[in-house]
Amino acid sequence: MAALMERRLRISGVLIVLGLLVEALSLIRIHPLAFLAFMFVGGGLLVAGIAIYLYSLVSVTSPSESE
Amino acid sequence: MQMLVPGPAVLLYVLIGVTIVLVATIVFRPSLTATHGGKRLAFMVYFLLPAVVASMGASEHMERSKQTQFCLSCHVMDPYGRSLHIDDPTYVPAAHFQNARIPREEACYTCHTDYVMYGSILAKLRGLRHVYVQYLGTVPKTIQLYNPYSNRECLHCHDGARSFEEGAVHSADPSILASIKSNQLSCLTSGCHENVHAVAHLSELKFWEPK
Repeated sequence: MAALMERRLRISGVLIVLGLLVEALSLIRIHPLAFLAFMFVGGGLLVAGIAIYLYSLVSVTSPSESE
Repeated sequence: MQMLVPGPAVLLYVLIGVTIVLVATIVFRPSLTATHGGKRLAFMVYFLLPAVVASMGASEHMERSKQTQFCLSCHVMDPYGRSLHIDDPTYVPAAHFQNARIPREEACYTCHTDYVMYGSILAKLRGLRHVYVQYLGTVPKTIQLYNPYSNRECLHCHDGARSFEEGAVHSADPSILASIKSNQLSCLTSGCHENVHAVAHLSELKFWEPK
């Protein structure tokens, strides 16, 4: 169970880091495409990362709960 | 002594950097989350900090999208940007821009946002459509407003101003002012302030070069 949780934390973390990098890059230019990259690419990666993290919290049960 | 206060963009970059470092720490050492403290840290860096970064970033992008530079970044808007430099005070947008009657860095947004509830949100939604047309659609030869220009956008600043209320033409007949304020007599198309962007005639006009 711990291994599954750690794996999901890694996937979620990578998605969040990618999302944050896209958001940081989008702030370099003042352009409509930068705005779209922020909203849809960066925002999408962040939402996916956060969703996987939250899902891992509710789906992975601790050994004491599973007994 | 002058203090340097970092702008919101700088704070945002710092927050993004800190969040990336903390998330990367957990990615490389997920066993940190085995403890109570680690779980709290994970919740903060996997949920709270990204949410704060996203909302701050959205706010920053919204502010940036009001800038003249943002509107003029599409090639099709070049003539409209150039029309702000027409060297003739009878051209309304140029006179407003050159005399700083509107904030120059937010020139388009100041006059082309509907000053109604959700006017700003509506402008952003239309902006999404404009981006679609710019990159995936066909840009029309003549760009037209969605609706006839409303006096409301002029009155947002001019209503109550002495020069407007007591102007010779405006106050010549009490019915004129009432007609303007009720949008029955258009400021632009009534023949009084009809010179606007004139993009079709730019080649015939002189331009102001800021010193």
